[in-house]
Amino acid sequence: MAKKKSNDKMSVKGRNKHPKTDLPVSKHKSKSKEKHKHIIELRDVWKIYQMGDVEVPALKGININIHEGEFVAIMGPSGSGKSTAMNMVGCLDIPTKGDIYLDSKNIAQMTESELAQIRGQKIGFIFQQFNLITTLTALENVMLPMVFQDKPREERVERAKVLLEMVNLGDRINHKPTELSGGQQQRVAIARSLANDPEVILADEPTGNLDTNTGTNVMEFLCKLNNKESKTIVMVTHDEEVAEFAERIEILRDGEIVQSKKGKNHDAACNKDKGGRRR
Amino acid sequence: MNKDEIILSIENLKDRRLRSFLSILSILIGIAAIFAIASFGLGLTNYVDSLAEEAGTDKFYIQTKGTGLIGDETFYLTEDDIDFVSKENEVREVAGMYAKAGEIEYKDQKKYSLVIGLDPEKKEFIDEVFALDVERGRHLKEGDLRKVFLGYNYLLENKIFKESLKVGDKVTINSLEFEIVGFYEEVGNPQDDSQMYLIPEAFESLYPKSEGRYAFVMGSAEKGINMDSFADNLEDDLRKFKGQEEGKEDFFVLTFEDALETFGSILTIINGSLLLIALISIFVATVNIMNTMYTAVIERTKEIGVMKAVGAKNNDILFIFVFESGFLGMFGGILGVGLGYLISSAGGQIAASAGYALLAPIFPWYLTLGCIMFGFLVGAGAGILPARQASGLAPVDALRYE
Repeated sequence: MAKKKSNDKMSVKGRNKHPKTDLPVSKHKSKSKEKHKHIIELRDVWKIYQMGDVEVPALKGININIHEGEFVAIMGPSGSGKSTAMNMVGCLDIPTKGDIYLDSKNIAQMTESELAQIRGQKIGFIFQQFNLITTLTALENVMLPMVFQDKPREERVERAKVLLEMVNLGDRINHKPTELSGGQQQRVAIARSLANDPEVILADEPTGNLDTNTGTNVMEFLCKLNNKESKTIVMVTHDEEVAEFAERIEILRDGEIVQSKKGKNHDAACNKDKGGRRR
Repeated sequence: MNKDEIILSIENLKDRRLRSFLSILSILIGIAAIFAIASFGLGLTNYVDSLAEEAGTDKFYIQTKGTGLIGDETFYLTEDDIDFVSKENEVREVAGMYAKAGEIEYKDQKKYSLVIGLDPEKKEFIDEVFALDVERGRHLKEGDLRKVFLGYNYLLENKIFKESLKVGDKVTINSLEFEIVGFYEEVGNPQDDSQMYLIPEAFESLYPKSEGRYAFVMGSAEKGINMDSFADNLEDDLRKFKGQEEGKEDFFVLTFEDALETFGSILTIINGSLLLIALISIFVATVNIMNTMYTAVIERTKEIGVMKAVGAKNNDILFIFVFESGFLGMFGGILGVGLGYLISSAGGQIAASAGYALLAPIFPWYLTLGCIMFGFLVGAGAGILPARQASGLAPVDALRYE
């Protein structure tokens, strides 16, 4: 029973462009502009889990800065704390110690309801297991994040259709997830992550459940979002090949950042085709 | 309220058709029982009210004590008693009534019922007390020594006799032949509807020792007086007249109001107990729905995590689950009303064919609406705890759930 909010400026702007003439509709400025603003900042973030009497630190005071429009991969083996880090960035969890700034707001201090608002408006999630709602069609899945922002129905339908066209699923909008292949499901999830035109896309092992070709295809979409839509992308992966698509790779081991390097494939893969893929 | 969250609730129910159906079934039974019981209860209340309206609350009865059966001759009221009562203050009209069991025979079929002796000069007053009109033929009149007036059921085939009787037919009562002059309209219970009415002289010729021994006296008082104190005074005066001690009188005065009240309170007790039983089944249904919803919450933990990840607030999740469970209740309510209607209609017809036409259920709109709303509220109420559990899940834990 959410109340009407007047925070829909992004949606209003989003409608300015004709949906068919260009990729959908982002309020965010082009990437060529300034990249200095930190959209995400982790400052000395600790996460400690209590396992009986033992305290297990998952994150040991990590610091990460992510600029607006950047494509960052957080890489590390399982148990390195990368998923914990992503949960923090995604406002799904709060740190035991330290501060997390999202768009200059410290989310470590927020209530669950405020976090839900932030997640809904500023962050789009892409999961390894797609996590679509099985009872809903592709279109309804893409509309879901907008439902919780109280967007009017016509706007939701219109935008969801545009987003599904963008991921080349314009002819599958009424299919349930079980009627779609893994790659198609992940593309629905990508469309869903864009529903409320968030500033940040968080991808947790986005290719983990896909074969190489489909995985590459999904990575191309992420590149396009970064390149053409100027979305900030934070991706968590253990797969080095996938990580190379990112501009910057932060390597996490045992809860600490051990290395930061440039992704080898980023320029070749993400800037190769400025026109993006069209159907 | 968000329409799409409601749609989500319904989608979820559709997805678990069998389990939803079973939960609906459990509440359906309770609601059907409540609907059926209430429709009969309201029908009876209606009947009592209409009786009070037709017969009027100015009526009173004087009945002899004893076994309580009409026709029991241990105690009786005499002509003098009736005379005395008719001269009391505030009494408008009085009529004594003979009553004894008798045998009626028609074409070699023998049946037993009550024979009533009534003064034909008082027929209008008696009709008023009985709240009955003549259905067919005419009333008895002075001198109708070998004429009988019958209850409604004699008009029906295969009810008392195989054949339907008509005016002019001859029947034998206690081996004397009588000609039928008319029939009363339907009362709605088999005793009253199978009675035989004679003029007092005819009654006395059938039962020679009965002269002047009345089983029952009915009367009416002045309009607008306090019937309770009237009845008390009348009982006092008649006791003194009959020379009986207080507390040892062989009769009692009953006002129509009292009778209706007694009937009404018995009705309330019966209805109340039946409703209580129905409520137990509603309680069971509540537990069942709660169980279904707790299972649903566990099953959909991951889905809840996803919804939270894409921006659902705790209240959104709460709303989805409470509504889902409310819908279960509401569907149960709708189907329950349907089933209750069928049960009541069938029950009403069975009662009517058994001669209890007064057991007629009624179906006012507020009963239907109330039962459906009640179903929704029971469902939503049962869903609150599971929904709170769902809404309180930490998103990160919920997402990790497999």
